[in-house]
Amino acid sequence: MSDALQSLFVLGSSHHQAPLEVRERFALGHEEANSLQQKLFALPNIRECLIVNTCNRLEIYGLATSPEIETAIRDLLCAEHHISRQLFDQHSFWHTNLDALQHALEVSTGLDSQMVGETDILGQMKSAYANAKDAGCTSTVLNRLFEKSFQAAKAARSQTAITRGQVSIGNVAVDLASRIFGKLSNSRVLLLGSGDVAEKTAQSLKSRGVADITVSSRTFENAHKLAHELGGAAIEFSDYEQQLARFDIIICSTAAPQPILTKANLAPALKSRPERPCFLIDLAMPRDISPEAEELDNVYLYNLDDLSAIANENIEQRRAEIDKARDILKRHAWTLWLQLRRRELQARKSPPA
Amino acid sequence: MLDAIAMTDRTAFGIGALVYLAAFVIGCVLLILKKPYPRALMFALLTGGFLIQTLGLNLRGADIKACPLGNIFEIAQFIAWSLVLLYFIIGPVFRLRLLGLFTAGLSTLLAGGSMLVPAWDRPYPAGIFGGNPWIELHAALAIFSYGVFAIVALVSAMFLIQQHGLKKKQFGGVYQYLPSIQQLDLIAKRLMITGVTVLTAALIFGAVFWVNNPDLVPLFKLGVTCFIWIGYLIVVVLRLQKKLVTKRHAIAAIVLFVLAIASLWPVQSARGLDEVPKNSPIPAKSSK
Repeated sequence: MSDALQSLFVLGSSHHQAPLEVRERFALGHEEANSLQQKLFALPNIRECLIVNTCNRLEIYGLATSPEIETAIRDLLCAEHHISRQLFDQHSFWHTNLDALQHALEVSTGLDSQMVGETDILGQMKSAYANAKDAGCTSTVLNRLFEKSFQAAKAARSQTAITRGQVSIGNVAVDLASRIFGKLSNSRVLLLGSGDVAEKTAQSLKSRGVADITVSSRTFENAHKLAHELGGAAIEFSDYEQQLARFDIIICSTAAPQPILTKANLAPALKSRPERPCFLIDLAMPRDISPEAEELDNVYLYNLDDLSAIANENIEQRRAEIDKARDILKRHAWTLWLQLRRRELQARKSPPA
Repeated sequence: MLDAIAMTDRTAFGIGALVYLAAFVIGCVLLILKKPYPRALMFALLTGGFLIQTLGLNLRGADIKACPLGNIFEIAQFIAWSLVLLYFIIGPVFRLRLLGLFTAGLSTLLAGGSMLVPAWDRPYPAGIFGGNPWIELHAALAIFSYGVFAIVALVSAMFLIQQHGLKKKQFGGVYQYLPSIQQLDLIAKRLMITGVTVLTAALIFGAVFWVNNPDLVPLFKLGVTCFIWIGYLIVVVLRLQKKLVTKRHAIAAIVLFVLAIASLWPVQSARGLDEVPKNSPIPAKSSK
């Protein structure tokens, strides 16, 4: 019998390995991620598996009965989602055992996030875990791993100051908008899509004086609900293109597989307002705004990578706290690893009747 | 009263330029060290430099008994003086961050740079404007409009720096202190219209004199001045038609200002050749 814990693994790709244009090729929709999870779980050598799929990372956590499972998983992922195997191999990582545990803990704590110390990732990890658990894809090891990782994240946050001085995407967007427009009270904002980060960004802009917010989403009910929360208006998704010229700040966070704003559809809108700049914030993955749009005069385009890089400018001041948090997580990971090993050994000593 | 001041006009101009330089250097050093921008100190230093430069212009004016606009040196001093005067009006009204620093830099360049070329302060006949107040008004307005164009060029440079920072995703440093591009663009547009209006008024006063005394105005000077005026007029018209906006407007404002400043030397040379007869009975002005 092989040692199951020899095959605890995480295969993934995040902003550390892949640039934005590569990450958007790996991005999976919610249904696609669920389907892949089921297919992975159905593989003969997989005992447990769980997929964490966010705008900046695609990670497959699992427990295999054979350490040679890596090739099979890579093959399945690339074949299912028409990703070049070479490209994926180039921009992905594979951790096993203690390294996999440490990685999971760092991800939960936000240490591995693009904006170091952010808290949204914990919610996303919890959601991925609940989803996999409901689907019956997790069992003793991953359940313990994820539950402990949530506890460790809480401990690291409370015992260090990794979140102190952290700048949110919303704050960065507000600062950039102020550099473009000065006072924001006359700026008109359009939200395309109703993602969480987009909503928070719109709220930050609202708190700095933006009074005119319009929401458009493929599901009009969602748009209407968010518009109501933000004190704005909702428009049909089919209408936004005709109304682009009205808006100074456009925040995109749709799940569209292709860009919905391009140089071609922005140029006519900007022509009718040559003196007013246009601030485009692309929070979607894959991107909603074609990078060529930035070539237009008076257009300022910022995507997730740009905003995160700005938000992380004070990271050096937080470096000591980050190292401290990492040490705490190492201790948690080691304790968890010993617990899992002990359980495995006990299970071997007393095999089921 | 000015006779009681134990200082030559050039000394006053020199001290004024040094104070502007001090303001610029202090501002730059504090920005590099990422210290808070010293708005009050900048204002105080520019006020000091301005007052000393005003004294210098008064001493020179008392000496020649006219508005001191007779050579390139005086014109450069007057443009720098107009620039700082406009900063006192525009800075507090629009609360443009870093405008003081940029004003100090350009004033140092104009006021200090003109002192480094002694030939630019060449003597000229007293009463160069022939005692005609309209011509003095024409000259003062024309040079004041250059001061306006100088501040338009500064605001445009600030616009281009801020825009470059935004396009290149630069954060922090000088970018965080600069005003918004929309504010800079709007102010550049308004100042450009103001400058062209003042220059047009100056040319109208000058034209009245020219019509009555066509032989006294060198055609070269007239041609260059009209060329600069037409250049600015075209920019304003295109801007009002929204055909030359933001970045291109900023570049045009800077290019035209450089041309306007560069045209001073040949214009003054032409005027000097035409207006100062070799055997002029009028005694040449001398520095106090």
